[in-house]
Formats: sequence, C-alpha cells, structure tokens
Amino acid sequence: MTIDIRKYSAFLEQVAGEIDIQPGKYQDAVNRYRAVGRWLEEGSYPGCTGKLSIYPQGSFRLGTVVRPIRDGIEACYDIDLVCEMPLRKDRTTAQSVKSMVGDRLRENATYKRLLDPEGRRCWTLEYAEQDGVGFHLDVLPAVLDGSGLLSTAIAITNKVGSAYSWSASDPRGYGAWFDSRNKFAFDRVQLEQKQKLQRGAPLVFASIDTVPDQLVRTPLQRAIQLMKRHRDLRFDYQERIEYAPISIIITTLAAHLYGNELDEYSALSGIVRKLQGHAALVENRAIEGCLATLGLIQRRPDGKWYIGNPVNPAENFADRWHEDNHARARAFFAWVVALQKDLLNILEETNPRLVEEHLGRVLGTAAVTRHLDILVLPAPMIDTPPRIHITGAAKPWREG
Amino acid sequence: MTEDLQRQIAVLTAFHKGLANIARHDADTVVSGTLPFEASADGLETITESFEIELTVPDAFPESLPRVRETGGRIGNDYEHHNASGTLCLAVPVEQRRIFLENPTLLGFVNRLVIPYLYGYCFWKKHGRHPFDEAAHGYEGILRHYLDTLGLADEAKALAVICYLFEHGYRGHHDCPCGSGLRVRACHGPALMILHRTHNQQTVRSDFVAIFEHCFAKFQDGQLSFPTPLRLQILRLFNRL
Ligand SMILES: [Zn+2]
Repeated sequence: MTIDIRKYSAFLEQVAGEIDIQPGKYQDAVNRYRAVGRWLEEGSYPGCTGKLSIYPQGSFRLGTVVRPIRDGIEACYDIDLVCEMPLRKDRTTAQSVKSMVGDRLRENATYKRLLDPEGRRCWTLEYAEQDGVGFHLDVLPAVLDGSGLLSTAIAITNKVGSAYSWSASDPRGYGAWFDSRNKFAFDRVQLEQKQKLQRGAPLVFASIDTVPDQLVRTPLQRAIQLMKRHRDLRFDYQERIEYAPISIIITTLAAHLYGNELDEYSALSGIVRKLQGHAALVENRAIEGCLATLGLIQRRPDGKWYIGNPVNPAENFADRWHEDNHARARAFFAWVVALQKDLLNILEETNPRLVEEHLGRVLGTAAVTRHLDILVLPAPMIDTPPRIHITGAAKPWREG
Repeated sequence: MTEDLQRQIAVLTAFHKGLANIARHDADTVVSGTLPFEASADGLETITESFEIELTVPDAFPESLPRVRETGGRIGNDYEHHNASGTLCLAVPVEQRRIFLENPTLLGFVNRLVIPYLYGYCFWKKHGRHPFDEAAHGYEGILRHYLDTLGLADEAKALAVICYLFEHGYRGHHDCPCGSGLRVRACHGPALMILHRTHNQQTVRSDFVAIFEHCFAKFQDGQLSFPTPLRLQILRLFNRL
C-alpha cells in the first residue's frame, strides 16, 4: 500500500484527537479553575482596589494541549492559570504578590491540601483523578505591566533561591496573535467540528451552541499537537530532554509558517518543509530569500540565535540555543528532519505492518493502533457499502 | 457511557453510516441499524449484502465485548451459530478476544468479527458449507480451541493448559503444561503467551470452568484420567473461584 493523502489526513486528525484533552476532562478542568478563580476573587488583599482577573494561558488557552508522556507513561496535564492582581508593579513587590496569592489559597482547606511547595513562578494545585490522569493547575501571580508593548502585557513573579524579581510576559497578547493566525481555518472548520463533538458527547453538550470554541481544532492546532507528541517521544529520556525544542518555539514557528491549509497532511508538510528551509543556519549559511525575509529564526553576528516573541520582540525564545556548541539548535533541526521522515515520508511505505510500527513508535502505540483501520481499509463511498477484505476470520461457535 | 465509548461510536457510525440508532439501556449502550458491506476473503468470492443488526455494548467495554443480534429475521434456526437468546456466536470467547485485541475498537470489532460472521453465513446459505470452518458447540468448542491452537490431542492436556494459565498467567521457566518435560519457553511458550495476553481475569476463569466441566463429566464416566498433581492444582484453583 502507498497511503492516500486524504485518508492519512483523517488518520492524523484522529490520532491528534486521541492525544488531546477529552471534552469531559476539559469541562472538568474549566470548572475547577473557575472555582479557584472565584475563591481568589473573593479574597481581600492589602492595597488592592479593583477586580482580579483570572485566565488560562499556554497550550490550554491555545488549544494545543497534548497529554504528556514521561518515561513512556502518560502523565498529568499541566494547566497554566494567570492570576492578575489589580496592583501597580511600581507600588508592590514580586514577593508580596506571590505570597498574597499563596496565602489566599492556603485559607481554603481543600486547596491547602492540594498545594505543592512554592514553585519558581507559580503555585501548583495537584488534582489527581481516579483514572490516574489528572492535572496540575499552575497559578501564576501577576500584575499589569504598564511599561509593556501592548496594553495586555503583564509582569509575573520569579523566585530564584530566596530572591524575587519580575519577568515580562503577555499571554493575552500572544493568545490574540495566535487566534489571528488561526482564524481563517477556525471559521471554516468550527461548525462541522462542533456538530461532531456534540454528537460524540451528547451527555456533555446538550446542543452545538454549548460546545466551546476552545474545543475546536484547526489543522494548525492539530499539527502543533502532533509535533509536540513527536517531540515528547523523541526526547523522552534524561540525556536529551534538556535540549528538546520547547513548546513555545514549536507553537510560534508553526503558527507563523501555517499557510491556511485545510487538511492535516498539507498543514503539517507545509510547516515542516518551511522549517527545513532554515536548516542551513546551523552551518551559518544563508537561507532561501523569502524565508530569510520572514526573519523567524535568525543568527546574530556573534553566532547567537534569535526567535522573537511575536508580541514582544525583546523576548528571545532561543536565548540558550548557542550554549553547549549550539546543542539546542542542532537538536531542533535534527528533530525537524525526523518529523519529515517519520510523519511525512511514511506515505511511501508499502507494508502496513511497518506503517503501524513506525507511526506507533513516533506518536504512541495506543493512539495509532486504534485508528489504523482508516489507513488500511478503503474509505466508504456515499451509497456504496464499505468494502472489507477478510483475513484470519474466526470459526463461528454456539454456547450450548 | 464513557467519553471514550462515545468517540468510538462516532468513529463506527462515520464508517458504517447505517448504524444510526443509539440508545441507553441500564449499563449498556445499544447501537443498531443497517449494516451493508461488500466483503471478500482470500480465494473466496465477493459477497455484497446488508443485515439489520443490534450491538449491545456494555459499559465495561472493552473488558467485556459487545453482544450482537441480527434483528431482520434473516438468520433462522437452520443456522446453528446463534444462542437461544438470539445473540450471534462470533467465535469461542478467547478467540473472539484475540481477534478483537488486534484492533481493539468498536469499528475493529464490527469489521473483524461481525462482518466475517455475516459473510460466513451468506456463504453457508449459498454453498452449504462454512468458509472458515466452524467450532464445536459449547464447552467442547472451547476445549478444542485450546487443543487446536497448541497442536495437542489429549483432552486432559487442555485442562492442564487452562489450569496453568489460570494459576500462573505466563511463567517461562515452569514445566510446559503439555507434559513434554520441557520448560514452557522451550516448548509451547509463544502460543501460551498469546493466550495469556488475550485473557483477562474473567475470561480465564470462565474458560477454566468450561474446560473443567467438560473434562469432569468424562472423568466421572471413566473416559479420562487426571494425574495427581493436576487434581491438586484443580483443588487449589477451585478455592480461588
Ligand atoms: Zn509444551
């Protein structure tokens, strides 16, 4: 068999759905974080007059969640929640903002029990679930940063040893930028997907109007999920894990390079091809003109790397790429080559067993095995019955 | 109904569009409708047919497999492979699980078990013989399955095999239950491993009961003898039931 692109797109979509957060779990997480938000809002904080603002950031906000795998085992989802206090950065300190939020969480017996020791930037609540896959809710205390580029810029707290400082961030600005890259496809897929989600989970969603936008996935979002899962499995051991491409880099570059393709294969292959077009940068050679003009990945005269935050060019996501003889840059481009080979060249594989084996290794056996039929069986045509070729049939039996 | 099952049903109905009715009954989800197919098998003719079927999927799926009924009244009593309750006997339970686990989804279940069964029925109706052979009825069919997959002849050996699986799961360094005197891994290791992987707590237990019942009846008639270690093992296992 050589694989049909339409079928392969449908297959990739299903696999991405498998590694995504499931709608029920999503609703569950939303309910929990809203409850945490209400609890924080109802607190009284010295010097605060306005209202707190609580909102998700990161993959949960962007719709690019991937069920994490650590040491080959599926682990808890990480959900980042910004807790923006109505305080001015110059009238308070990072330490007092961080401790106000921590103190308020500890006033609640449940949260006190779920709370981890203080983290570098956040307070973590550990929700374990009966089925073993729960989530960590990371609450990031923050204040509005009037000096930021956009009005949405915030300052988050940063604790190193016992010293606290501020770091710049802008999750709302980044979210809006991502949405703008995603909008064309979102408008085209949302109705059909909401119908499917509603039909698939009638107990969770009474009607399609109750299916949240946050559960719709465009080919861009799916491509990011697949790339992240591929990354997680490729770098799932200690020696390599610190050089693994970080999610914000994958997400940013993919969103920049996405060309509004509406099927999964074309979306993914477009992104991977354009990423490969940057590979010459490792040897400090020039890249193709139109990619160079975009300036997404740049080499500085001193050899250091630059991948800018699209809503804050002062922030360089690749600020550590030159370390250890450019280890992160090399790992990134080697990974891009592997994406091409593992997820795109597989179309030319003719042996179904090898297709299953290879895809299972790079995307997770469980997710791949379940949807392999899409690739192996001919797609049903309208008004013609599905065609099945029987191999290894069972002998019929009777109980008594 | 779990979310996972909801998604599996969505995948199933996207492929087999006629299975459009979904209802809840107690701890089961019932998916029913028309199942048209065009099926072929190596060296055999292509058959295009359509049946009305009803799949009863327990909440414990995939640990427990769905029950299937043909509701259009096509498969009559002249065809032996259904139960008194009308459910289709797709295969002996352990074989059904083995095939199911090759692609453990609802769609895989329909494509690899239900459609081959219906194809087999159509073929039998037309030619008077079973294209994929047929299993003996009842407990004997279960026992034969063990003898056939392991290439054994003595019925007491099938009992020794199921006792081994029920008591130990898979242990490569044990003596092979076939009685060859070799270690399992040097003898029936691969086939026993497949059986072990296929079983869950409940299926290994019910096969043990089935094979024991069958053999015990013959033992009482004096047609079968059990060596002493096997008798002691049976007693130990009965305490587990
Ligand atoms: Zn043996």
